[in-house]
Amino acid sequence: MKNIIKKIEPILNKTLNKAESFIQSRPRVNFLFGALFEACDGLIRSSKDTANAQPFIRNQMDAKQYMGGVLVALLFGWVVPAIYFFGFMCVVPKIIVSLVVGVFIVDVLWVILAREERINEGGFVTCLFIPAFLPPQAPLWLIGVGAGVSILFRNILGGVGNNLVNPALFGRLILTICFPAIVVTGWQEPFTGMPTFQSLKSGIDAVTHATPLIAFKETGEVTSYISLLIGANAGSLGETCRIAIILTGIWLCIKRIANWRIPVAYLGSVFIFAALFSLILGEAVAPPMFQLLSGGLIFGAFFMATDPITTTYSQSGKWIFSIGCGLLTVVLRNFTSIPEGVMYAILFMNLVGVPIQSIVLKIKYRT
Amino acid sequence: MAKKKKVKKTYKNGFNLLETYPIEFSKEVETVKYDGTVKTFDFPFPDKKIDHVIVNLCPTEPWALPNSAVINNDVQGFLDFLDKLDKVRTGHFPESHCYVVISAQETELIKESKQHDGHGDWLHVHTLDPIYPNDAPVLISKKTLGLDVAYGQSTAEIGVVILEPQTVVGIFEHYIQKNEISTRLIPISGTGLRENKILRVKPGTSIQRILDGNVREDIECRVFVDGPLNGSEVKDLTQKIDWSTRNIVVLEEKDYKIPFNYARVDELLFTTSLMGELRRCIYCNYCDDICPVGLEPALYWHCYIRGEKQKARLYALEKCIECGLCSFICPSKLELLQVIKECKSLK
Repeated sequence: MKNIIKKIEPILNKTLNKAESFIQSRPRVNFLFGALFEACDGLIRSSKDTANAQPFIRNQMDAKQYMGGVLVALLFGWVVPAIYFFGFMCVVPKIIVSLVVGVFIVDVLWVILAREERINEGGFVTCLFIPAFLPPQAPLWLIGVGAGVSILFRNILGGVGNNLVNPALFGRLILTICFPAIVVTGWQEPFTGMPTFQSLKSGIDAVTHATPLIAFKETGEVTSYISLLIGANAGSLGETCRIAIILTGIWLCIKRIANWRIPVAYLGSVFIFAALFSLILGEAVAPPMFQLLSGGLIFGAFFMATDPITTTYSQSGKWIFSIGCGLLTVVLRNFTSIPEGVMYAILFMNLVGVPIQSIVLKIKYRT
Repeated sequence: MAKKKKVKKTYKNGFNLLETYPIEFSKEVETVKYDGTVKTFDFPFPDKKIDHVIVNLCPTEPWALPNSAVINNDVQGFLDFLDKLDKVRTGHFPESHCYVVISAQETELIKESKQHDGHGDWLHVHTLDPIYPNDAPVLISKKTLGLDVAYGQSTAEIGVVILEPQTVVGIFEHYIQKNEISTRLIPISGTGLRENKILRVKPGTSIQRILDGNVREDIECRVFVDGPLNGSEVKDLTQKIDWSTRNIVVLEEKDYKIPFNYARVDELLFTTSLMGELRRCIYCNYCDDICPVGLEPALYWHCYIRGEKQKARLYALEKCIECGLCSFICPSKLELLQVIKECKSLK
C-alpha cells in the first residue's frame, strides 16, 4: 500500500501543480474555478502556509481533522446501524442525495458566485445530519431540499464560524414548516434478528408504525428500555440505535471534539426535570428513563447541541445552555402538542446562547 | 538520574512539549573556535535585597540546555552543585533562601536531594511537572513561593532571583573563584540540523559561525533563538550571541504543498508549517483549556475581529504571560498571540 502511494504521489503532485499554475495564470479561469480548485486541492494536500509570527511551531490538529472526527463519529453512530435496521437501499441513496445537493451543488455554486476561498468540510457534516433526523420513508427530494436549504442558510450567515444556529436543524425546521405532513409520517418498523442479504439490502417491507413518543402521547404506552437502547423501534433514520450514538459520542468527548459538559448537562437535566414533573403531575408526564431514551434526545445531545460554534464560548455558559435545552425539551414534549421537542429546544437555546455568553462574561470579569 | 516517570500528555493548563518533540543531544560538548573579542561574564546583580533564590533545574522545553550538561550526572555532581550554590548565596545573596526546582520526573534525584535537605535551613527542594510553560518566571515564583509577579515585571522587585544552573556555575567561577570565564554552553537542535549538539561558545560569536557545518544543505531552514515558541527569528545570521542567549533552534521550512498530509504528520511536526489553514474561530475551547493562567484567548480574537480592540482589556488581558500556547494549539490557526500583543500595546 505504501509503495503504491509512493508511486502515485509525485505524479499527483506534479499534475496538481500544473493545474494550479494553469488556473492562476489565466484571470478568467481563476475567477470561475480558482476557488473550486483551491477547495479540492485543500482536501488532498496540505497548505503551504508557514508560521510567520510567534509561535513558529504549531500543533497538528486543524479544523479538517476536527470535522473529520465528527464525520467518523456520525458514520459509526448512525449510518452503520441504520444500514442494519433499515437496509442499504434505504440509507445510502439518501446520504448521496444529501451530499450531492448540499456540497456539490449548493456549496460549489456558492463558492463560484460568492468568491469564497474554500469549500468547508463543515458542509459534509451538515449534509450527513439531514437524513438522520428524517423518517426512513422520507422521499429523496425532501432530503435534497433540506440539505440545500441548510447549506444555503449557513453560507448566507457567513460560513463555518459564523452560524448563529445549527444549519442542519434550521433545514429541518424549514422542512417541518413547509411539509408538516411528510416530515412526521413514514415511520417504519426496523429489522431485527440475524441480518440476511435481503435485509441488509432493503430492510423489511415497509410497515408504518408510530414512534414510541407518539405512541405514548396517544395511548400512554411505554416501550421497553432495552429495545429503545438497541434501536429496535420506529423512529427517525439516525436516532434509533442509541447505544451506538452514546459510544461514538463518548469517543468524541474523549477526543475533545465534543465538549463533555453539554451531553452531561443536557441528559442530566432532562432526567432531573422529567423526574421532577412526574413526581408533581404523576402519570401525565412520561417517566424520566423513557424520556431519556426516546426520540432524538441522545442524538441531539451528543451531536447537535455540541456543535461548537452555535453554543456559547465560555465553559460556564455551556452548562447554562445545555440545562436550558434540557428544560425546554421536557416542557415541549409533555405540555405541548409537539411530540418531539429536541429540535426546537436546541434551536431556541442557540439563539439564547448569545445573551448567555455576554451575561457570563459580565459576571466573570465584572465589566 | 536516568530513571524517568512518564508524564501523561496534557492539554490542561500547559502542554507537555518534552514528549511531543523529543530531542536527544549528543553526549560530547563541542567547542566552537572564535578569535574575536569576547565579552567577559557579567551578571547584573539587583540593587534590592534578595530574599529568595530560585534555581531552575526543570527545563520544560526540549530544546533547552539539559541539566546533565552542567551538573554531573550523579549524586556527587548534584552535591557539588549545591556547594557552589551555597557559596554563591553566602557571597552575593546573604540571608536568602534557595529553592531548587526539580522536574517531577526525576524521582531518584528528588529522593537523593530530600536526604540532603538538612543542608541548613537555607535549602528547599521543590518539584514541578515538566510541562511548558511552568518554568516561566511568573509561574515558577507562583508555584514555589506563592508570590504574584506581573508579566514583564522584574522579579527582583519582590526580592526574588531566578537562576539557571549555568548561571550559578558562572557566578561561582567568575566572582568567587575569580577564574576567567569566557564560554557558554549553547544547545542547538531542530529538524534543519544534521545532529542535535551542545556547543561551547564564546559570546560574541556570530550565529552563522556556530551553525557552520551543522545545517542540512538540502533543505530550506529558518533559525530561531530562545526556542520557536516564544523566541525570535534570526533573519541576519551575522547576529552575535551574548550571555543571555539560551538556545538555537533550526527548523525545516516546508513552504510547499504535501499530498496526503493526514497520513504524514510526523514529517510536518517539527517544522514551521502551519499544519492547516487559516479559518474562523470555531469555539473549540482548546485555547482556554491550555492557557496556563486561565484566560480565554478566543475572546480577544472575537473583540479584535469586531474591531473593538480596546474591549479586550476588559477580559483580564494583563495576566497573559505570552507563552504562545494558544496560537500553538488553535485548530483554526489563528494568530492569537499576535492579537494579544496588539491589544496589549493599546493604551
